[in-house]
Amino acid sequence: MTQSFPKREFLIVGILAAIVLVVLPCLNAFTPPESAFHVSTFSLSLYGKYLTYAILALGINLLWGYTGILSLGQCLFFSLGGYALGMHLMLMIGRLGQYKADIPDFMVFLEFPAKYPETGGLPPHWIPFKSFWFAALMVVVVPAVVAYIFGWLAFRSRIKGVYFSILSQALTYAACLMFFRNDFTFGGNNGLTDFKTILGYDINSPGVKRALYLCSGGLLLLTYLFCRWLTSTKFGLIQRAIRDSENRVLFSGYATANFKLFVFVLAAIISGVGGALFVPQVSAINPSEMTPAKSLEAVVWVAVGGRGNMLGPIIGAVGINAFKSYATHAFAEQWPYIIGFLFIFVTLFMPKGIIGLPEQFRTIKRRIQQRNKSVDTPAESAVATTSEGVAK
Amino acid sequence: MDMAFLLRRIVIFLIAAVILSSLFARGQDTNEFRRILAAAVIAEDGDAQLEGIKQLINSSDELVARALAAWRLGELYVLTTDADEKIPILLDSRLDEEGRARAIRIRDGEYLKGETGEEKLFLASDLTPADTTSRLRRTIKTTLDLYAMANPMPRMRRDAVVKLGQEQNPDYLPHFEARQKIETDPEVKRALNEAIQLTRMADESAAIRNPAIIALGELNSINSLHFLKQFRTTATNDPAKYGQETIQALTASIVKIENHIWWGNVVGTVFRGFSLASVLLIAALGLAITFGLMGVINMAHGEVMAVGSYTAFMVQGIFGTGLMFSLFGNPIRIKGFGLTGTGFDAYFVVALMASFIMAALVGLLLERGIIRFLYKRPLESLLATWGVSLVLQQIFRHTFGAANVQVDSPSFLSGSFTFNGSPIGFNRIFVISFALFIVYGTYLLLTKTSLGLQIRAVMQNRNMASCVGVRTDRVNMMTFALGSGLAGMAGCCLSQIANVGPSLGQSYIVDCFMIVVLGGVGNIVGTVTASMGVGMTNQILEPWLGAVLGKIIVLGAIILFLQWRPAGIFVTKSRSLEG
Repeated sequence: MTQSFPKREFLIVGILAAIVLVVLPCLNAFTPPESAFHVSTFSLSLYGKYLTYAILALGINLLWGYTGILSLGQCLFFSLGGYALGMHLMLMIGRLGQYKADIPDFMVFLEFPAKYPETGGLPPHWIPFKSFWFAALMVVVVPAVVAYIFGWLAFRSRIKGVYFSILSQALTYAACLMFFRNDFTFGGNNGLTDFKTILGYDINSPGVKRALYLCSGGLLLLTYLFCRWLTSTKFGLIQRAIRDSENRVLFSGYATANFKLFVFVLAAIISGVGGALFVPQVSAINPSEMTPAKSLEAVVWVAVGGRGNMLGPIIGAVGINAFKSYATHAFAEQWPYIIGFLFIFVTLFMPKGIIGLPEQFRTIKRRIQQRNKSVDTPAESAVATTSEGVAK
Repeated sequence: MDMAFLLRRIVIFLIAAVILSSLFARGQDTNEFRRILAAAVIAEDGDAQLEGIKQLINSSDELVARALAAWRLGELYVLTTDADEKIPILLDSRLDEEGRARAIRIRDGEYLKGETGEEKLFLASDLTPADTTSRLRRTIKTTLDLYAMANPMPRMRRDAVVKLGQEQNPDYLPHFEARQKIETDPEVKRALNEAIQLTRMADESAAIRNPAIIALGELNSINSLHFLKQFRTTATNDPAKYGQETIQALTASIVKIENHIWWGNVVGTVFRGFSLASVLLIAALGLAITFGLMGVINMAHGEVMAVGSYTAFMVQGIFGTGLMFSLFGNPIRIKGFGLTGTGFDAYFVVALMASFIMAALVGLLLERGIIRFLYKRPLESLLATWGVSLVLQQIFRHTFGAANVQVDSPSFLSGSFTFNGSPIGFNRIFVISFALFIVYGTYLLLTKTSLGLQIRAVMQNRNMASCVGVRTDRVNMMTFALGSGLAGMAGCCLSQIANVGPSLGQSYIVDCFMIVVLGGVGNIVGTVTASMGVGMTNQILEPWLGAVLGKIIVLGAIILFLQWRPAGIFVTKSRSLEG
């Protein structure tokens, strides 16, 4: 990876950003619904969901692709961010719910007024979420704090590699079980849903949907630029050094645990923000978003798109989810086979993902050329075959 | 008024005397009870009917019991002949095409015949049912209950006795005592003793009551705890009537029985802990080999277990009534042997072996097809095997349906006994002993066979083992097949205690990985210890916190424990940096 911003990448990102941030919203806003070019609000919202997934994928990539930490709990942070904003949106429903009560419906349903009589049924930790800005702060703070505590515990005792993956999987599994409980005050297995307004605007109006979409796109671009910048600094260099040989970095006098902890918390914040934008567009958040399987799925997007590269995860996240939306309508029964085999195929044959394909083809081409040459000098081919480097 | 009552009594006495005398006069043959019943059915006087019914307690005649039960439900009919003779009859349960049935005469148990000797048929709606009153029905019920005390099945006898004892009806006492003299089954004897003491407990006289209360305590009678507690509440509210002595006796007995139950609960919890630990151990042992020894993260481990469970299901079907499934959309029907009893029970032994072989084969395919390319990239073996797990789950769904399948326990594994009121199931005992068996087997395999030696050599230093002539490729293959085979057997075992469905594996995978990490990777003893610890903690926490919260706390505790010992409970000592 080169330090500078190559012209070609700049061009690609510029075109993609223009399409996502200008063309699609304009097609939605300014073309009549019967036009062939019209993008419906529903589709736009769907694309917005993909973009939030892409933000999540960027966080995973920063962690896995650049630092070599495979966390199977990133969806936990995504959901935590989502829940934080969801709580605010839940409180903003006001008396528009089914039960016409001051508190969210599920609290009436689960008889919270009897449990928290002094606040009229609202659990005390829900009260500050009446403020949007507090909720927005929590979108960042909650995932960061959880990631800090878990990361501090894990990296301090030098838990790494697959052990870290397994532990993070256990963490998200435990949290998922916790959120499924009704008395955990977050709506049990129905989660938070049926939102009505955001910042006083109708959450289902096309204008708000478009704004949320633009926010997701803008944030994705910002995250992309930030990650791009971070990985090109000296910090990014150490990150990659940790990925490739942590012990050498450690013995060179760097406190690798602190670096890893920083990246882990950063990735959690990125995931959390993604989650916060996901919730108003999908209009629901529930504990099934934080199952270990979801986190693994997010890792698949990164692997398929290509990790250790900033565009790959975005392509993977958007591509696979768009394909999934199509496939689960067209041939739902076969979808697990497709994703399963895709996963096996990518891991076995495309270690660098879609974005690494051109390079892989070039390597193969070079190898064939060399084999043709090596008819005369067989010794060279042995050297050539080992040149295919694989990221650890 | 008094006069009328006295007269009634005299009439009853006379009728009873007639019935009784007829009983003694003609001897104790079974027809005697039938005659009494027949007489009671047509008797005009309600009290006489009751007296007659009460006579029937000592009968052990099937027909009498059937007729009584039918009478209670209004299905006993009275046929009035042309000669104005009333004949109580019971209709046969088998009907002809017009809904008519043969009639059994209660008096002698014969089918009613017409003049020419052919059996007469009746329609139930044409007949007049014998009259019943609520008092009569109650008496019939009591008689049938007491009658159940003579049931040839000890279990039925015991249940009947327990039920009757809880009515605390002093009228039953003589029956209990009479039965106790001839009873041979120890459990029924105990139940009779309990019933007698429980009935005596309700006596007015303290001299009878108090010893009964103490006796109940001595018997550790869990069934009567509720009655003792209720009685204590009544007695403490009115100490003048019941006296201090009774209250003291009650308290002492209640404490004694509660103590008894507490011990039962402790043993039950420990037992359930062991059994959960064994389940986890069986499930994690295969993983301890593939992950612990080989360093391969097999996310499809749970699905390999499910392969074992489904193999058990298929073997069961082949032994039993056959099975149906669809292979790639083609329905396939396999005809079963149609075995029952011991022949069917033997399926489980076959299933254990078959599930080992099937799962080992799946493991072999997995290793040859995917995992052998990823030995140097453990994180990626995690991703690829997760893909395998998705595919396998969907294959299960397509082949056997999305719903859970039914795997019947062989008769020697179903059933349980109770220890101090805590149920202890045979299937759980089996799981515990099976866990011990396969752990010991694995230990022997790893330490006493040449394959075990090679496995350990390859795991310790692959290159060096290869240099001294161990065929590492083959050893990898065998190790992975062994680990998968063990997972398959685990799945077969789980089919006896858990639901078998496409997502069976998912519910165990996180726990299994945690146990292997907690125990210390590459260490079977560690896996055993870790599963014991997790199983026990789970069962001890469960009554207080519920199953889910208990599980969350255990997961949290494991994460914290690894702070203290990052490499698990038992650390394999190594000089290499990555340990």
